[in-house]
Amino acid sequence: MTVALSAHGVSRRYGPTAVVDEVSLTLKPGAITALLGGSGAGKSTLLRLFAGLEPVDTGEVRLGDRVLSSPSSTLAPDKRRIGLIFQDFALFPHLTSLQNVMFGLKALGREAALAEAEAWLRRLDLTARAGAYPHELSGGEQQRVAIARALAPKPAAILMDEPFSGLDPALRSYVRDAALEAVREAGIPALLVTHDPVEALESADHVAILKSGKLQQEGPAADVYLSPASADVAAALGPITRLKAADVPAALADVPVGHELAVRPEGVLLDGAAPVKARVVTSQLTGAMHRVVLDMGGHRLVALVPRQYAPQPGEEVGVRLDPALAFIFPSAGT
Amino acid sequence: MAGLPLPRRVLPFRLSLRPADGPAALACAIIAVPMISVLLAAVFTGGGEAWQHIRDTLMVPYLGGTLGTLMLATMFMLVFAVPAAWLVTMHEFPGRAAFEWLLILPLAAPGYVLAYAWGDLMGVGGPLQSALRDMTGWAARDYWFPSMRSLPGLAFVLASGLYPYVYLTARAGFVSQSICALEAARSLGASPLRSFWQVALPAARPAIAAGLALALMEAAADYGAAEYLGVPTLTFGIVRAWKSFGEPAAAARLAVILLVLVVGLVMAERWSRGRAGSQQSSTRWRTVSRTKLSGAAGWLAAAFCLTGFTIGFILPVSRLVWRAVESHEQIAPIWDALKNTLVLAGCGAVFAFVLALVIALAGRGKGPGAAFARLTASSAYAIPGAVLALGALVVLGGMGLTLTGLVPVAALAWVYASRFTAAGAEPMVAALDRAPASLGQAAQSLGASPWRRAKEVDLPIALSGASAGALILFVESLKELPATLMLRPFNWDTLAVRAHAYASDERLAAAALPALLITLAGLVPVILLSWRLSHARPGEQAGLDA
Repeated sequence: MTVALSAHGVSRRYGPTAVVDEVSLTLKPGAITALLGGSGAGKSTLLRLFAGLEPVDTGEVRLGDRVLSSPSSTLAPDKRRIGLIFQDFALFPHLTSLQNVMFGLKALGREAALAEAEAWLRRLDLTARAGAYPHELSGGEQQRVAIARALAPKPAAILMDEPFSGLDPALRSYVRDAALEAVREAGIPALLVTHDPVEALESADHVAILKSGKLQQEGPAADVYLSPASADVAAALGPITRLKAADVPAALADVPVGHELAVRPEGVLLDGAAPVKARVVTSQLTGAMHRVVLDMGGHRLVALVPRQYAPQPGEEVGVRLDPALAFIFPSAGT
Repeated sequence: MAGLPLPRRVLPFRLSLRPADGPAALACAIIAVPMISVLLAAVFTGGGEAWQHIRDTLMVPYLGGTLGTLMLATMFMLVFAVPAAWLVTMHEFPGRAAFEWLLILPLAAPGYVLAYAWGDLMGVGGPLQSALRDMTGWAARDYWFPSMRSLPGLAFVLASGLYPYVYLTARAGFVSQSICALEAARSLGASPLRSFWQVALPAARPAIAAGLALALMEAAADYGAAEYLGVPTLTFGIVRAWKSFGEPAAAARLAVILLVLVVGLVMAERWSRGRAGSQQSSTRWRTVSRTKLSGAAGWLAAAFCLTGFTIGFILPVSRLVWRAVESHEQIAPIWDALKNTLVLAGCGAVFAFVLALVIALAGRGKGPGAAFARLTASSAYAIPGAVLALGALVVLGGMGLTLTGLVPVAALAWVYASRFTAAGAEPMVAALDRAPASLGQAAQSLGASPWRRAKEVDLPIALSGASAGALILFVESLKELPATLMLRPFNWDTLAVRAHAYASDERLAAAALPALLITLAGLVPVILLSWRLSHARPGEQAGLDA
C-alpha cells in the first residue's frame, strides 16, 4: 500500500530567484534517497515543497497518483501524513518524550496511543526516558524521540532535514544506523537532506544532487559515484582533483582540448614503473589511508594510498590513474 | 517596564567575599532598609485603635478589592494580549507592522492618568452618556450605564494600561519558539488551531506568566486609580491608614498583607514554569513565515488589534488632549510642578543610577554579595511605592527626623532608588552579559587588577546600557504617585501630585495637562523599548536557509 512520493517539474521562487528550479524526483518506497548539495542549493526548500510547508510555483508533488501540491492548491501539511525530522529535532519542550510521541497518535484514542508510543520508545531503546522532558535528554536521545514521533503515526513518507548534523561525531554513526534502520523497516519513501557526502554514501540507497536549485543527477549511490555526469556532481560526492587538459601529461591520460580531468584521490595510483613522475610534498596518515600530496610538474595531485605503500616527503614516485575513478568532462565555461 | 529583572544565577554561592562585594552589599542595604523596616514595624509596634477599626471593618473590602481587581484584570489582559501577540507574530494582515509597536504604547500612561480619562469619558457628564441622552431623549436616571467607579471599572482601566507587559512577553514567547516545532505539529496531523493550543501556547506559557506577574504587581501597587475611582484596595488602605488615621503601624500591617500577595505572585510565576522546559534548544532560525489572513479575516484581526490600542491609548489620551485644549485654566502652577518634578525625579534617578551601576558591575564578579544585591533590588522592584514610603517614614521617625528641609527630598530619592534600581540595572546587566566573558579574562591575562578591570573594561561596557537605564529610572520616578504623596516636601507638588489633586477635586480640565506631560515623558522609554525589540529579533533577521 506504500506508494512513491514524487516531484514533477516543481519550482519555488523567492522574488526573481528560483530556489528550486524545475526539479523532478521520485522517492521510491522502502528506499532512502539522499539529497546532496552545498548550502543554498535549495535542498531544504525542496523538502519543504514535499512537506507542503511551502506552495509550489510550478509543477506538482504527488503521493502515488494523488496530487498533493500544484500551483493552484496545496494540501495542508496536517492532511498529508508525511513525517518530518528536523536538524534541531523540534521536540515540544513542554511535553515528555512519551507525550511527544503520542502527539501524532491522537486519532487512535488514548489507550491505543499510549501503547503504540510506548512500543516505539521501547523499540528505540528509550523506555527509561519516557517521562523525561526534551531538555533533560541527550542529543542522541532527542534524535531518537524525534524519529519515534515522526514514525509512530505510520506516515506515508518521511523527510529528514540534516537530522544528524547536530550530533556529536562520535555518536553520529551509531544514532544514524539505529534511526535509518527504523526508517527502512517502515518501507516508505524517505528523503535525507544532507551536505555530508560520506553520510549520503554510507546510508542512502539513492542519491540526488542539487545545485543552484537544479537537479544535477540522481540514481543508485554507487552508480552516481562511479559515473558522475559532471565535475560538480563528482565533487559533491567526495574530494576530487581537477586538472586542465594542458596540465595533464599525455602519458597519464588523454584529455582532449577544452576538457578537464577530475580524479578521485583513491584513483591516483603510485607505481614505480609508470612513466609519469611526481614529487611527494606531504604524506600523512588520515585514518584508514595515507593522504599523499604530490607535485606533478608544478600541479598539485592528491592520492590516497594504503599505509604500507606510503612514500616519504621529497621522494619521487611514478603515477598512473585508475580509469574507473578518473573522469573527463568538458571544461566549465566551454 | 524592563522585564522581570530577576538575577539569573543566585547559586552557586561561593562564600568568599570579593572586593566588589563591599559596595554591592552597601547598595543592597540601602535598597532593603525601607522594605525591612516595614516588616519590623508591623511585627513589633502595636497597631492601636486604628488597626482594630481597620481589621474589623475595612480588611475584607481592602483584600477583596485588591484580589477582585487582580483577577478581573488578569482576565481582561489575557483575553486581549495573548491573541494579539499571536496575530502579530504569526500572521500577516493590514496594519500588522504598525500594531507590532503601537500595542506597546499604553505602557506610557500610568494607571491614574487612564483612570481620570476613562472616568471622564464614561461619567454622567461625559461624551458617551451625553451622546446617548441626545440620541434617545432619556434623562440620566432613565438608563443603566457601566460605571468606571467600580471594581470592574478599576480592573478595566488598569488592564488597559498594563496589558502590554503580557503582550510583550507573549510575543517574545511566540517568536522564540522553534518554528520547526509548529511545522512538526502540522506534519503530525495537528490543525493550525490545535498547533496553537497544544504547542505554541504551552511553550509560551511561562513567558506569558512572567508578563502577567509583572502587570499584576503594578496593578497591586496602584494607588491613584483606585483612589480616584473610589475602589478600596490594600494600597489605597495603606496610604489612608497613614494619612487619615496617622497610624504607621496599622499601615505597616496592611503593607505586610500586600507583600504576602506580591510574594505569592512571584512564587506562582516561578511555580508555573514547573519542570517542563520552555526554551527550545534550537540555534537554527527560520524566517518567521507569517500566514496571510486575507479578506474579512485580515480586517477582523486588524480591528481586534485596533480595539485594544484605542482603549489603551487613543481614547484616553485624546480625551485628555481635548480637556486640556478646552480648558482656560491658568497654567502657571504647572511650571512650579514641572520644576519640582525635575528636581525630585532627577535626584531619585541619579541615586538609583549609582546603585544600579554598582550592582551591575558587582554582578560581573558573580560573588554572593552581588547576587544578593541583585535579588534584593528585584524584590524591592515588586514592592508598591506606598509600602516603601511607609518604611522610609518609619526609619525617619525612629531617627527623630521630620519631613522638613532637605530630609523629604533625600527620603524620596531613597524610596525611588529602592523601588526602581532593578529596572535601571537591567539594561546595564544586559550590556555586560552580551560582552563575552573572555574580555575580563583577557584583561586579567594582560595584568589588570580587578579594580582596573572594573574601571577600564566593565564600566565602559555597562555604560553602553546606561542611557536606557537612566531614562527608565527618571521616567519611573516621575510617574510615581503614592510615595511622592506621602513623602514630598511641604508644598512641593510634582506633576503627578498636581494631576492627582486636580482630579480629586473634579477639576479634570486642569488635571489634563500634567497628566499628558507625564504620559509624554512615559512615551520616550516605551518608544525606545519598542525600537530595541524590533531590532533584536533572531527569527526575523536570519537569512533563508534554502
